[in-house]
Amino acid sequence: MKKKSFGFYLRIYGKILAQDLKSKMSYRADFIISTIGMIFTNLAGFISFWILFRNFPSIHGWGYYEMLFLYGFSLVALTPVQCLFDNNWSLRMYVYSGDFIKYCFRPINLFFYFQSEVFDIKGLGQLAFGIGTLAYSWNKLGLAFTPLMLLKLIVFLITASLVMIAMQNAAAATCFWIQNSFYVLDLVTRFKDYAKYPITIFSPVFRFLFTFIMPIAFIAYYPSLVILRPDEIPLLSWLSPLIGVIFFYLSYKFWMFGAMKYSGTGS
Amino acid sequence: MENIIEIKNVTKEFKVLNRREGLKGSLMDLFSRDYKIVRAVDNISMNIQQGEIVGYLGPNGAGKSTTIKMMTGVLEPSSGEILVGGNVPYQNRAKNAQEIGVVFGQRSQLWWALPLIESFKILKDIYGVSDEDYDNMLNLYRSLVDIEPLLHKPVRQMSLGQRTLSDILAAFLHNPKIVFLDEPTIGLDVSMKAKIRTLIHALNQEKNTTVILTTHDMGDVDALCRRIVIIDHGKMLYDNDIEHLKGFFGSYRTLKVRPAGDIGEKAKLLAKELPEFSVTADDEWISVLVDEEKSKVLDVLSQIQKNHEIRDMQLQEISTEEVIKKIYEEGVE
Repeated sequence: MKKKSFGFYLRIYGKILAQDLKSKMSYRADFIISTIGMIFTNLAGFISFWILFRNFPSIHGWGYYEMLFLYGFSLVALTPVQCLFDNNWSLRMYVYSGDFIKYCFRPINLFFYFQSEVFDIKGLGQLAFGIGTLAYSWNKLGLAFTPLMLLKLIVFLITASLVMIAMQNAAAATCFWIQNSFYVLDLVTRFKDYAKYPITIFSPVFRFLFTFIMPIAFIAYYPSLVILRPDEIPLLSWLSPLIGVIFFYLSYKFWMFGAMKYSGTGS
Repeated sequence: MENIIEIKNVTKEFKVLNRREGLKGSLMDLFSRDYKIVRAVDNISMNIQQGEIVGYLGPNGAGKSTTIKMMTGVLEPSSGEILVGGNVPYQNRAKNAQEIGVVFGQRSQLWWALPLIESFKILKDIYGVSDEDYDNMLNLYRSLVDIEPLLHKPVRQMSLGQRTLSDILAAFLHNPKIVFLDEPTIGLDVSMKAKIRTLIHALNQEKNTTVILTTHDMGDVDALCRRIVIIDHGKMLYDNDIEHLKGFFGSYRTLKVRPAGDIGEKAKLLAKELPEFSVTADDEWISVLVDEEKSKVLDVLSQIQKNHEIRDMQLQEISTEEVIKKIYEEGVE
């Protein structure tokens, strides 16, 4: 059998997505409540951020609007993992109950098939919020808006997303080996909250940790340096797209390795 | 005829940690290397031809699911060879998946939120079914069951019976060579069971699809299977026609009595009084299995009547169910 093309998967995804959205809209109350919830979550995050900066006008040489930029950048970068890979949160339940086996009988990529099942529409609110924040701080910082800058922004946003997706994949896949992987996934999600701060404010130990062990520094800090501090870009920033791709690939391989090892529960 | 499934000396072993009891035990387990080998499937061989319906039977934990998982490519055999439609399932999982359909009784594989017809359309794309084949299949379905009320209903809103029906239709949609049905009638009411049996039979006839059926419901077996394979403790006990099986135990008959008083209590008493017979009870009847070569049914009846008042009785030829039960308990010899 010939390998299924990228276009094939895109078409299948489009169909599932369209149907999924249609059915979600039919549960209107659920849709509205979860959207409102998402707005409040983001608002609360923003307010605590604002209070912090009323007291400290700058952190380690990072001004208010630069921090805001970082904040918006991380929000946008987190959208794909929120929208497209949300089924990772349910993975451990499927594995524990044995229902995961139902994904093993289709002639398509297992990882794709599993993730395609859920599209979390709430992430779109976060995206809008993030883009607004990003545009506002971009304007206030007086950054130029050239095609090159836009290209840089997009490339590095994708990088940041890949890193976040990779971390979540890897954390979710631990459930193929340990029973209560919720804590691993929860831990990773909590750590991503630190992604919106410049890594230089942390002690060297955490700086090392956040760069090489739990690479959240690649979610906002390293990529956004390219735009915010064009005079002093560290090597890691330039390397981050490559690192993002590698991380993603490794996490995919890890996830698939776990899934192929899976043999289901008795019936 | 061509073999669609070839299984040759297949064994599957699992490494299982010897677990200790208590909190201290589970802490020690973390570092334990104390494994034992469990043989779930032990040296099984069989060939299945295109178009057969095979009943794959065995008590819980006999190794049925493990065998099915190996045939579908989810598990790799520890030793031996499996060929399904010419493929080694574990090595060509995706290719194998194209040729088979799988239904697990209680686990729907359909998209939970989507109406059935949308699930069908997505499956059509995934399996690359042509428009013509797809339309023909839907027309066939329409002629066999009343699917119109199902098509536009989200799977999550269906009853268990409707969902099972939908899952079976979905499994046959891409016209696979083999369909594996794992307890398809579990938990269903009598009329739904009948409907599903009729459907499976018709699809097998129409499309010449090979069906591997695991079930604990002998009604399924009687209605569908010409051939049955029985395994227990991973070993193959029986592989032959169902008629042949009944011949084995031809001298057995079941004596059913309805005594006065509480059936459960009486059944326990009778089991004690008749230690050489197998005594079972349901809500209305107590059944005693009698080997006519050894003792006469009437003798047994009069023995029961000595101590118990009997209100009603009937005599039955042995059912498949009892044959299977005997094999589970005693083996074929």
